[in-house]
Parts: sequence; structure tokens; C-alpha cells
Amino acid sequence: MIKKRFSGSARRARNIIWNAAGRYGFETPFMAFYPNGTPDGYFNMVVGLVEKWLGLSRVWAFFARYGGDRRAEEFDELLWLGLENCVYEKELAERPILERLRKARAEEFFDMQKRLSRQQTEMQSMLVYTQQEARWASVSGRSVLLSPRERRMAEALSFPGVLDAEGVVAAMEAFLLEFFRFVPPSEPAAPKKPGALASLLLRHEHKRRDTLLVRTGTAEGDHPRAVQVTHWGLGRYIGPSAEDEAYIRAVFGENLLAGRELHALENELCCGIDEGCRLWLTAPSAPAAGSGAETRETASAREDAARQHKKNEAFLHEHSRAVQGSIRRLTARIDAVLSSFLRREPEPSRAGRIRPETAYRLPLLGDTRVFLRDGEERESELCVELLLDASQSRMNVQEIIASEAYIIARSLENVHIPVRVLAFRSLRGFTVLERLKDWDEHGCEGVLRYFAGGWNRDALALETVGRLKSDIALQDRQRMLLVLTDASPNDSAPLAATDTLLSREYEGAAAVKAAEDAVRSLRAGGMRVGAVFHGSTAHIENVHQIYGHAYVRIQKAAQLAQGVSELLLMLLRELRE
Amino acid sequence: MDELFAFLQGEGVNEALLRGAREFRDAHPVAAEHAGRVPTPEYFYYGRRIWELALAALLAGQNLLLAGPKATGKNVLAENLAALFARPMWNVSFHINTDASALVGTDTYDGRAVVFRPGPIWLCAHEGGFGVLDEINMAKNEALAVLHAALDFRRSLDVPGYDRLELRPETRFIATMNYGYAGTRDLNEALTSRFAVLDMPEIAETDLQKLISRRHPGINVKIRDQLVKLYAELERKAESAEISDSALDLRGLLDSVALMERGLTSGDALELCIVNKSFDSYERTLIRDVISARIPADLTRGDVFRA
Repeated sequence: MIKKRFSGSARRARNIIWNAAGRYGFETPFMAFYPNGTPDGYFNMVVGLVEKWLGLSRVWAFFARYGGDRRAEEFDELLWLGLENCVYEKELAERPILERLRKARAEEFFDMQKRLSRQQTEMQSMLVYTQQEARWASVSGRSVLLSPRERRMAEALSFPGVLDAEGVVAAMEAFLLEFFRFVPPSEPAAPKKPGALASLLLRHEHKRRDTLLVRTGTAEGDHPRAVQVTHWGLGRYIGPSAEDEAYIRAVFGENLLAGRELHALENELCCGIDEGCRLWLTAPSAPAAGSGAETRETASAREDAARQHKKNEAFLHEHSRAVQGSIRRLTARIDAVLSSFLRREPEPSRAGRIRPETAYRLPLLGDTRVFLRDGEERESELCVELLLDASQSRMNVQEIIASEAYIIARSLENVHIPVRVLAFRSLRGFTVLERLKDWDEHGCEGVLRYFAGGWNRDALALETVGRLKSDIALQDRQRMLLVLTDASPNDSAPLAATDTLLSREYEGAAAVKAAEDAVRSLRAGGMRVGAVFHGSTAHIENVHQIYGHAYVRIQKAAQLAQGVSELLLMLLRELRE
Repeated sequence: MDELFAFLQGEGVNEALLRGAREFRDAHPVAAEHAGRVPTPEYFYYGRRIWELALAALLAGQNLLLAGPKATGKNVLAENLAALFARPMWNVSFHINTDASALVGTDTYDGRAVVFRPGPIWLCAHEGGFGVLDEINMAKNEALAVLHAALDFRRSLDVPGYDRLELRPETRFIATMNYGYAGTRDLNEALTSRFAVLDMPEIAETDLQKLISRRHPGINVKIRDQLVKLYAELERKAESAEISDSALDLRGLLDSVALMERGLTSGDALELCIVNKSFDSYERTLIRDVISARIPADLTRGDVFRA
């Protein structure tokens, strides 16, 4: 019920909490979502009201004290019932609608129970379920059978509204003592692994590892409940294990970076906030892992990827007329942009218009090249890299992104600009770059192997692309990087702690800042970087922060030609300046 | 206008200032042909201190610049002031292409000769009216230079090719200025120095309660108070830049109450007058979340108003 989760609706949940709290901008340790990913309006309001009346930090500090206990999640759920009652009573006079909202929440509870699958029901804690049922039954006027102990527990969880923060903490302590014989330590839990610091909040994650989930994409675009994935906690991140590496190898094939190159790259990039992360470059042509590494999980991920490949091809085929039209339009626009920028530049010569500022060289030095003449028209000395965000948040637009990338790559190829297409995602501590089309590869069909799944550690991916060697033949060309992104970086591997004992999650402002720094460093190295933004309005500020003005927003395929050509124009202008 | 005087007395506005306003009216009766230009306010402005500052400035012969964010009652106050002083009002809405001829007047051909067709500022100066310069900072500063002499101690308008017009002593200009939204710019120093500047505060909760009750005396006070709190919450959200201020619309809130009185449910009325003021679907979701945490969507006329 109350989880620390990421979803496309996180900003909405935060807004509900901030609104109820009556102040904005604070980081909330709790947010509430329904199993389908939409924010739970009532419980988010309760979280906000806890901040308003009791102070979230007080409550959070109490929860942190038993964070290492295996029953922590159960305790959380129960104690939030107590808090709900307390703040409900406190706020009711001020906000009479709460009574209705509470009743509606109670009805929702019973509705949801009817719809749960057997598996989901089995996963519920019976203790928590009984107490929730007791609470919502009493709110909605239903009767429910409870044992005497359960009844006492339900009564104990009705923290009265007269309690202040101290009183609530005391009530929570008394509850845990009476019903669980449990006294939370006065300090957060001690380290469990040798060499690692306490992971206070791992309880939100430890049950599951990242897994590629590509089955549920709808190709209908994002909507608020599009994606739901769970973060690691905030403990010290240790880095991927041998098992993780085997998983990555089995799903993506061998790492094309190897030996000294990989070592040097990881040494350079996987430090600071990315400490402990690993890099993996792969391509469809990469040697597959030995069959011994295959598990059911990896086999299913590979099957899903293959299925998505077919879906992308089918989508392209189905929309072939529109796609061909877009390629034609974009090719024409890129051509126009390039020809306007690659006009003849004047160059010094022995005849032509005299340059007064260099005229002295003629009598003094005998330099006759003091004239300007129209230069030769130069070839388009550009090469473009397309970087596709392949994280799970893109799940519902996989076919759209694959076809957009295909259109851009084909159009660039048509005007003889070399193009390479890479997809990036982070998974189990690895930032995986998948090369879908190489510079010298003819045809762009490889792009259709794109699929979404995992996380996106944008900063590390960007920096890795910047360091990847380009073809020797292309070394004199100006590199441009176009990122197809939703500007919402987040990763299950946290931001490694640089100045504090505990890591922070790789999301939100910190992750955006990291991506911004990465883009700045690429630009400082001479690469022109722009973004094709294909995401929700909620992330507009992020894309602006990361890429400055060098981005275009595409909301439908018809805008692609204009958007991408404008972006190229913008980057070419930058280049000239 | 006795109603307005009574209202201000009830609000506790300084008696001497009100007496001054009454004397001003008596000293400057309005000509019959302009009586229709004296406004009859639909809303009264709430805020005793602002009233006192504005009255003092106008009685001292100054022009007023009302500066403040959206929905702070700038135009309501300007209109109320013209009503209180019983002056004919000329309202000029400024825009990016406003130029001197749009303000002062222009040449025209009357069938026999080229003549001067006076603009609103000239008429206002000539008739001793109150000129409301709405959103003055939307215009380019160069276009406003023509007003300098009218607004400062010279109190005159020199129309090239025509006579110089001395402003009637009862003429006042009240400019409004909204800062912070696209297209607006700061006024230059030369122009700002010619006004007494009133920084308009956001409406206080108690004043908003009074405003709603005055317009809808039959409203259920509990619902009214929730609407007021809703407005404050939207205001906070806009201040925190979580939503734009398009949904922060005081008129919209008052209109929604009027629609509820007409028989729309609370949900429909608020959707129409508040939520749909934003054209971003995500923003609309955030606004709906705030509303649904305050006002049930199915309130009927009977719930919102006493029988």
C-alpha cells in the first residue's frame, strides 16, 4: 500500500502529498500507489497529512529503526493504519470531504479484494489483510469476524487524533511491543554484510531483482499507469554479482568491450556516483553466451525481445506508407538544412577580393595569398549517432520509437551521413549499450531489434557513448549525438555515496543533474548533443535542464520530420558558432 | 454609490479619506452626457489597507499603478475607485501594438476636412475622467512616452498639429500591471516614477469568504469555506510552479458558484470554470486532484445553497 516506488505518476503522487501537507518541495519518503501504478489519492493525502500534523521525518525515523527486521514491511502497513486514523481525526474538521474519501477508499478496498488473483491473495500478509479489512469494514459499516486478539489489535491501531508526534511514536512502540514482543532498536539496524553499511530500507526491494519485462507493452503510448518498477533501497550499493553478469551475458551475448579497453573505460567512467556500475557493449552479431548460462528467466527475456522485433517489423510494414512519406520529408529537410549550411565558404587565395587586414603581408612578406575567393563546396562532414532510451518506461511506445529511429537513420543515410544507432538500458548494475546499426552497416533494419526493458542511467550511457571509438574513417568528421529520450533517468543501482554514508536512489533531481553534467562534458569534448523528446509534460523541465535548448518535442510521428530537421539546424548553427 | 460608501465604512476604511472622496464628488459633478460612463461595480474590492492607500494617493492628485499577480483584483479596484469618486471611466487595454494615436487620437476626414478624432486619453483628460490603463506593461515603452506630460506635474497633452490640452484637475490615471506572464515587460523608470505604485496582495481568505457571501448570500458557509481553501491550495500549487497560473482564476471560482446556483453539480461547475482553464492534460489532472480533495463532485444546488 505505502511504498517507495517509481512510476510515471510519481509527480502526481507528490503533488497530492504536498497539497495535503500545505507546503511544497520537500522530499517524501513515502508515496502510495495502487497495484496498477496510479497514485492512491486517499493514502497520499494521508501521507501529506502526517507531514502536516506530525512531521514525516519523525515517523520516518521511527520506521527506519526497525528497517532491518524481516517483518518491517508488515509493520509499515499496520502502523500506517494507525497513522491514518490519527490524522483523519485531526483533519476532519478542516476538510469535511475526508469522511467521504475514506468511505470511498473502504469500498475500493473491498472491490479490489474481489479482483485479486489467487496468487496475489496468497502474497498478502494475512495479518495485514485482517487489519485492513477490519478498518475498512468499520468505515463502510460492514461487519467482520475477528478473534479477540485481532479485535484488540484493531483497537490499538485506531490511534486517536489527540495524539501529537511524541504520542504517536509512543503508540507505535506500544503496539509493536504488545502484539509482536518487538522493541525497535533506538538506532537504525546494524550492518549485515561484512564490509557493507546498513541498508536501512532494503525491505522495499530485497524480494525481487531487476528482470526484463517486455511482455506488457501496448504500443499505444504512455498513460499514467504505464510502468511500475521498484527501486533498490538506499543502502550502500555493492555492484553486480557474478550471477548478474551471467544474466546479462545470457540475454545480450558477449561483451564487445573486453580486456584493457573495458578496464580503462570502467576505470574512467564507473566512479563517483557511478561507483560499482559496469559497462556492457553488445550487438546482435555478438557471440552468444554458452548454452549452459541459459535459465528460464533469460530464455524468456530473449523470446520476448524476439517477439518485440517481430512486432516492430509488423508495425513498420503496417504503416509503411506513412513511414516512407516521413523518410522522404525528413530526407528533403535534412538535405535543405545541410545545403544551406554547407554553402561555399570564402578561402584565402592569390586572386579575388583583397582582405585589407592581411594586405601588409604582400609587400612585407611577399605573401600573395591575401585575397579571398569562394571556396569549394564541402562534403557534409558529419556523422550522427542515435541513442535510444530502451528502459522499461518506453514499453508502451516501443514500436513507435523503433520506427522513428528507423526513419531518422534511413533519412540520414539517404543524404550520405554515416549513422550509428545504439540503444541503452541499465540492468542489474550494468549499463548495456546495444549497437543496433553500425557506421558501415548498410540498411537500417537492425534498428527494429529495439525493445524496452530495464532502467536508464542516462549519464553513464551518454558518457560511454562519448568515449566509444568511432571508425577511423570517420575520425575527422564532426560527431553529433541525437538522444531519443523521455528525460526521466532512473536506475535500480543507486547513486553511489560520495559524501554520505548512505547512497541515494538514482532518480529525480540528482539523476537529471548527472545527465546534465554528462551532456556538458560531451559538448566540452566537441560533440554536438541534442534530444528528441518523446515523453510526458511532467518531464519537460528535465529535458530542458539536461539538453538546454537543444531538444525538440515529438508528440506524434507527423512532427518527426520537422522536429528532427529543426534540431539538426540548431546543432549545425552551434557548430558554426 | 451610497452602498459602496456604506461597504467601505463597514470595512473600517479611514473616515477622513472617505470624507475626502465625498467632497471630491461634490466638487466635481459629472456631466449628464458622461453619466453612463460612471461604473456601477459588480464586485467590491476587499482590503482596507489598499483602499486607504489608493484613496490617499488619488486625493493627493497622484496617478496609481496597481501592480500584482493574476487575480489580485486590480481591475475591480480601479473600477471601484471610479465609482466611488463618481468619475466617467475610459478603459484602455494595452497591447504590443498600442501606439500614440491609439491613445491620444488620430486624424480623420469628416467629409469636408481633415479633423482630429480624439482618443480615450484625450477624452479622459478633457472630461476629467478616470483613465484605466489596463496591462500597461504589455505596450512598448516608446509608445507610452506620449503620456509622460499628462502623467507628471505638467498635466497636459500636446497633440502635434493641434492645441495643447490641459488636463482637468479631477482627471486621474489608474494603470494596472501584471507581472510574470508571457508578453509582459517591466515599465521603464520614467513611466514608473509618474505613478504611486500599489503592490496588490493576493486576496486574504476572510476577504474571499466575504466576497463570495456578498454575491451569493444563500451559500452554505461550510461549502464556501472549502471553496476558499481550495482557491488557496491552487494558489500555493501555482506559486510552487507545479501548475501554471491559468487555473488560478478568481473570476472562475466565482463563476463556478454562480453555475452551481444555476443548477450544475459542483464537479461540472468547477470543471468548466477552473479545470478547463488549463490546456495541458497533465496539469488538469493535478488540478482535479486538488479539487477532489476538497469538494465532492456531486454537490447539487440544494447542498451548496440554503433553501
